[in-house]
Amino acid sequence: MAAVGRVAGGSLNRSGRRTGLLLALPAILIFALLFVAPLCTLVANSFRTQTGAFTLDNYQRFLGDPFYRDVLWNTLKVAALTTIGCLVVGYPFALYLRGRSPRVRNWLALLLLSPLLISMVIRAYGWLVVLGPQGPVAAVIEWFGLTPPQLLYNDTAVLIGMVHVMLAYMVLPLMGSLDRIDRTLVPAARGLGASGWTCFWRITLPLSAPGMLAGAMIVFSLTASSFVTPAILGGPKVKLMPYFVYTQATVTLDWPYAAAIGFVLVVVTTGLLLAYSRLLRRGGGEVVFG
Amino acid sequence: MSTSVTEAPARSDVRRGRLRLDGVRKVLGGKEVVSSVDLETEPGEFLTLLGPSGCGKTTTLNMVAGHLTADGGVIEVDGRDITAVPPHRRSMGMVFQSYALFPHMTVAENVAFGLRMRKVPAADRRRQVAEMLELVGLDGMADRHPGRLSGGQQQRAALARALVVQPDLLLLDEPFSNLDAQLRVRLREEVAALQRRIGTTTILVTHDQEEALAVSDRIAVMADGVIHQLDRPREIYLRPGTDFVARFIGEVNAIEGTAAGPVADGYACTVAGETVAATPAGDPPAAGEAVRLYVRPEVVRISTDGAQGLRGTVRETRFLGSRIRCVVATPAGEVTAALPFDARVPAVGEEVTCAWRPSDASLAAR
Ligand SMILES: Nc1ncnc2c1ncn2[C@@H]1O[C@H](COP(=O)(O)OP(=O)(O)OP(=O)(O)O)[C@@H](O)[C@H]1O
Ligand SMILES: [Mg+2]
Repeated sequence: MAAVGRVAGGSLNRSGRRTGLLLALPAILIFALLFVAPLCTLVANSFRTQTGAFTLDNYQRFLGDPFYRDVLWNTLKVAALTTIGCLVVGYPFALYLRGRSPRVRNWLALLLLSPLLISMVIRAYGWLVVLGPQGPVAAVIEWFGLTPPQLLYNDTAVLIGMVHVMLAYMVLPLMGSLDRIDRTLVPAARGLGASGWTCFWRITLPLSAPGMLAGAMIVFSLTASSFVTPAILGGPKVKLMPYFVYTQATVTLDWPYAAAIGFVLVVVTTGLLLAYSRLLRRGGGEVVFG
Repeated sequence: MSTSVTEAPARSDVRRGRLRLDGVRKVLGGKEVVSSVDLETEPGEFLTLLGPSGCGKTTTLNMVAGHLTADGGVIEVDGRDITAVPPHRRSMGMVFQSYALFPHMTVAENVAFGLRMRKVPAADRRRQVAEMLELVGLDGMADRHPGRLSGGQQQRAALARALVVQPDLLLLDEPFSNLDAQLRVRLREEVAALQRRIGTTTILVTHDQEEALAVSDRIAVMADGVIHQLDRPREIYLRPGTDFVARFIGEVNAIEGTAAGPVADGYACTVAGETVAATPAGDPPAAGEAVRLYVRPEVVRISTDGAQGLRGTVRETRFLGSRIRCVVATPAGEVTAALPFDARVPAVGEEVTCAWRPSDASLAAR
């Protein structure tokens, strides 16, 4: 997610550029140490046998097995659905916040961030109670005289839990993007004959694309690599990549294979994000990625 | 409010765009920011709402455009009541102070927006956009994005976007205030010339008196949500109707006296024992009523031949380039005169008489 930002206009002079580099150095070092180095080790490991010899076996095993291809597909599907869910829930919320007074905004933003203040495990167990057979959701459905469907240990449960956690990552960049839109643009469009809906589709939505893009990227990549919430709410039936990385590494103790699964996920996710960003940029978006 | 209304210059060729506000009010944040505004334009007129910051000019304009709903009163265009009509069903071309160009569209797309909303076919749309861009001097800029235009070019683009839909009214909210002084003057002349050419009734909002005087057919001077005076620039300048108008627009000599009675070319009053005359701004006062005269420095003539007028002693003279400023101490207080550069400059200490044509000064009850 490091390279999401607006295009800067103009170029800095040389000394300015050097100062900038110097100021960015701590961040670059931390990034290299904590992210690039482990990733290199991971890649190196994934091309080794258990004894350390070079091999392509791990990748062949992964890509040749329909079961694992299915897991990969399911992971991307859950990540994409979570992203769409966050967008569908988050966009109206961000729009609503835009029109409120700073006081109301602060309170609602706190509410939005509150899931991030609680441990993931506790939050997931909370959903277990809410969605469980004795929980309030089931009670309401029964009250209407219907048999409650299975709400836990499936993709839907994971989706609900993930949207809850990820919502803030979608809404915050969206709010930033919406706030940057000149507030006279919609009146200007209205005056030229556009209805409220037309204003939304032609003005507000396209101009908030940078926020949507940033939010979608964060939510998608965090969801694709999330472990705790899917593990608790999805149980063993919902098969996602991070779960298999975990079992290969800690149960089977096949570290090279775990590394290969992990790296496949990184490559596929990054590739998708790049393609997505390219697509949006061609559509006139201002954000660059990679 | 004493409001003297002079007939607006009628344009025989324009039939559209008669705006009428009748008792229009608006309350914002618990405060009445516009209280009972009455206004009527002639088709094709260039009318300016002039007033200090926060007096309710933008609020009034937004009610005309429909971005705000009036809390009372009636707004009509060409006899049609539009008070409750939403903005996209009115036909107003508005230029915002920030220009409000759509940053994700090119200049041509910005200008075409209103035509697109009106479902004008693509070919007509292209032709009209090109014509309009040429009219405002932006040909060749069609494919640029607003972010790559200078302030003046953005202003022209916003103007083109507002005019291309041939609106009933053109509404301009401080359109020149973001430009540097030279460009401001040039663009306001251009806009005034363009307006005269196409004849769209125009409401300009500004707090710049000079701008208002330079471009308007008539000026409505506003303060605290009320229109103090609505008149032609010359009348607004020379014959202010209220203390506020007199002081807001340039320098003025406010002279206190007592009403005497009508005379051939104005209304006479007694000031410190002398008789001077001016034109009543509203209804003529009753004889003996306390009045105040408003006399601009430019209309004061200074003579030494003992003519009728306010007598006094020259206190100070100063050469200011375009004018010579001369301060005369009279029994009614100091009177400032701005003499033309080739006038005889009186000596300091000299006994002189200050006089003016009664039609060039106004008087109102105190
Ligand atoms: N949304 C609002 N809520 C409360 N008060 C408002 C609101 N909008 C404007 N006001 C107040 O209404 C008054 C008139 O505002 P308006 O924008 O019409 O002034 P203006 O004459 O256009 O001034 P300026 O020259 O500064 O643009 C101001 O005192 C302003 O503070
Ligand atoms: Mg204003």
